[in-house]
Amino acid sequence: MLRKLLGVLLLVSLPALAKEDVLHLYNWNQYIAPETVERFEKACGCKVKQSYYGDNEELLAKLSAGAKGYDVMVPTSNYVLGMAKAGWLQPLDKSKLPNLKNIMPAYMNTEFDPGNKYSVPYAYTITMIGYNEQKMKELGITVDSWAVIFDPKILEKIKGKVTVLDSPTELMAAALKYLGYSVNDRDPKHWEEAKKVILKAKPYWAAFKATGYIEALAAGNIWVAHGYSNDIFQANLGAQQAKQPFHIKHAMPKEGAVLALDAMVVHKNAPRPDLAFQFINFMLEGQNSADLTNMIGSGNPNSAAMAYIKPEIKAMSAIFPDEATAKKLEMLKDMNAQQRRLLNKIWTEIKAK
Amino acid sequence: MKSGRLSKWLISGPPLVYLLVLFAIPTLIMVVASFRFPGEFGGLAPLTFEDETGRHFDVTWENYARFFSDWLYTQLFVKSLAYAALTTVLCLVIAYPLGLLLARSPKGRRELLVLLVILPFWSNFLIRVYAWMIILGPNSVFVAALNAALGALSLGPVTLLYTPFAVVVGLVYVHLPFMVLPLYANLEKHDPTLLDAAQDLGANAWQRFWRVTFPLSLPGVFAGSALVFIPAFGIFAIPDILGGTGGIMIGNVIKQQFLDTRDWPFGSVLSMVLTVMAVGLAGLAAWFARRERL
Amino acid sequence: MRRSRALWTAAILGYVFLYLPLVVVVIYSFNNSVMNAQWVGFTLDWYRKLFANEEMLTAAGNSLLIGLLASFFSTVLGTMAGFAMYRYRLRVLPLLVVAPIAIPEILMGVSLLIFFVTINLTLGLISIVLAHIAFCIGFVALVVNARLAGMDESLVEAARDLGASPLQAFRLVTLPLIMPGVIAGALMAFTLSIDDFVITFFTAGTDTMTLPIKIYTMVKVTVTPEVNAVSTLLMLLTLVLIVIASKLSPGVLRGEAGGG
Repeated sequence: MLRKLLGVLLLVSLPALAKEDVLHLYNWNQYIAPETVERFEKACGCKVKQSYYGDNEELLAKLSAGAKGYDVMVPTSNYVLGMAKAGWLQPLDKSKLPNLKNIMPAYMNTEFDPGNKYSVPYAYTITMIGYNEQKMKELGITVDSWAVIFDPKILEKIKGKVTVLDSPTELMAAALKYLGYSVNDRDPKHWEEAKKVILKAKPYWAAFKATGYIEALAAGNIWVAHGYSNDIFQANLGAQQAKQPFHIKHAMPKEGAVLALDAMVVHKNAPRPDLAFQFINFMLEGQNSADLTNMIGSGNPNSAAMAYIKPEIKAMSAIFPDEATAKKLEMLKDMNAQQRRLLNKIWTEIKAK
Repeated sequence: MKSGRLSKWLISGPPLVYLLVLFAIPTLIMVVASFRFPGEFGGLAPLTFEDETGRHFDVTWENYARFFSDWLYTQLFVKSLAYAALTTVLCLVIAYPLGLLLARSPKGRRELLVLLVILPFWSNFLIRVYAWMIILGPNSVFVAALNAALGALSLGPVTLLYTPFAVVVGLVYVHLPFMVLPLYANLEKHDPTLLDAAQDLGANAWQRFWRVTFPLSLPGVFAGSALVFIPAFGIFAIPDILGGTGGIMIGNVIKQQFLDTRDWPFGSVLSMVLTVMAVGLAGLAAWFARRERL
Repeated sequence: MRRSRALWTAAILGYVFLYLPLVVVVIYSFNNSVMNAQWVGFTLDWYRKLFANEEMLTAAGNSLLIGLLASFFSTVLGTMAGFAMYRYRLRVLPLLVVAPIAIPEILMGVSLLIFFVTINLTLGLISIVLAHIAFCIGFVALVVNARLAGMDESLVEAARDLGASPLQAFRLVTLPLIMPGVIAGALMAFTLSIDDFVITFFTAGTDTMTLPIKIYTMVKVTVTPEVNAVSTLLMLLTLVLIVIASKLSPGVLRGEAGGG
């Protein structure tokens, strides 16, 4: 019995013994097209080993506890500042990234990473509102503002058919925008106001859903969802596939919204920084960058990719906002420990009442 | 007796050592963490700091003070306790007949029936919970039939999904095998002749159950209850997926401390309180059980 | 065997409750839609996709392997612990055994990760199995302990009187008597292990993907019916493995003397 076990263990560890060129990519699940990975493996003659996390916080928790072995990671850019300060990232060797010029200037040089020392833009999403077009037409509701999820007068008509994101930062940001403040407003008095707005609307909401609202929208169980632009895109695909009589549309609230720009970074102790830079440069090519957008409808900060993106996606202003709308988008700044605690307290109160 | 001493340590040694090394020591790290400050970007602030007078431990009681000073968290503990207790009772009620059926089945069929109980739980947890979303969702055949029946009684239609009802259904479902199997393991060894004797003495079916079977099965009941109540107390996934806007439980708050808020010290405090409460309640129940037997 | 109608009905209803979601899972693995939301049409595509999906299959294989290893070792250690708790009334063992069940998984996951990094253990299959054993021992121990409660000591005494050493008495008399408890514990440990996400997420290295990690991180986007397909197959595979194993060593499941 023991011999059998040892044999099995040896067999399982055999791949590790074989000296192979392997790039360890730590990414969100389904956040890179399989074709892209295959193309890279052919181009570099190496293997790509993917690991997944479901949220930035999970990545941060793992890194905080000391996990290592990853080459490239894809956090949302507002966390890059903190990650760099914590000493988890290595500066990018720009000489190995000639394709960096493909990124649109608007997405470069953010306050989280001045000069793009550590990170390179990958894709972006905008947090907005997804809705069931048919139902909203029936009820005569125009969906163009955060009022759809916060105003009790509108909510009355759609009671129990609305979900909001189960994220303190996102929901707070939406409420702050609704009140006319910036998403990065840290004034406790403004947070109290936002909390009141949320509590007033809460009785009309079905649930706080970070996930699963895609299915609910597509099935017609939910008519309005506070969600991410690429998720709403998926919901519509699902609805069409199910031959539903309705479409799921995006709505960019006129007060503004949160832009989340995901970026590629290299771990300080990456086993293969050479492969990491090769990969990043590869992903900066137009075709490779476009693959993701075509797959999930994510926003694309790469100008060279525009030629490869499907026209119907390029036309969606919710995914590729025009200049006027782009001005109203803000990126969430990371908070310090005190602010995080206060937000969590408010959040727990909101959830518990 | 020497060989008695030796066998005592041979049998209790390995699990003791294993748990000390792979559980007690890592957990100790987090117990210490409950006295530390959170790191600026996550994790923990350094354990020591330098100043003019030398190296000091950067520790504080503030995390515990926060817990005890805010009624909110205690309320959530009580709520989770209530849900866990309800889940345990419901699991017991549903699992007992199953356990009896398994224990009294002929030897050939018994293993198969036991396997059939646990088989569904080898599919992925998330998929099963999603299946409940379909079953309890507004589009399901089941809900439509239920509402039709309610309509016939001129009662209003009900929404089952995103409600406390859905949460309880989910909680009972995922914990059921952990009540069935301990009950079965205990019921299996009951001597059927005891029941025959009771019947001969004039006891009816209910009396036979309540006065013979149930008392003998108490160790199994306690084991099953512990294996349902304790995990259910700290669970977060079910309220997240099936719960409505009021679904939060203490398990969710703890998860948030480690993820969203990146406040590991406070998360450790809440975890310690949870563990002490759960272990304390289990110990209390075990003490009661021992008293009963004497 | 006495079997009242009411008991039978209640038990059947119990099985129905257990299998209702499973039926949905299996049916929806043939669903012609990218999401697990409503029925669209019949297709075998997801099974086809699954067999081409090397990552998913490897993850399933890893989960199975980890499950077998973790349940084996935790059953051995848990049976010892359950017996020790029953026989020797140690103070600290019950605490050490129950606490891992109570501790929130995320705390245990984070603490084990910190611990493994500190002692410089490479994260991978071994770290995951070690972690799983830690939280499974308690389940086995409590069931075995419950099974032992009220056990007829006279059988063991008789064996000792006939000249058996304590170890022989345990192996030939006690163990077969508690075997249903041991098996129940093993089944629970296996179930806990193949479905664990939180602790596995933190203790997994870069090279070991398990099925729960793959699936839970899919949740952020959509959980496609491919997951239903792999779940259905994994269940069937495990069932087949167990049936084969029980045919190869008949009677071991029933705890007949001499097994093991």
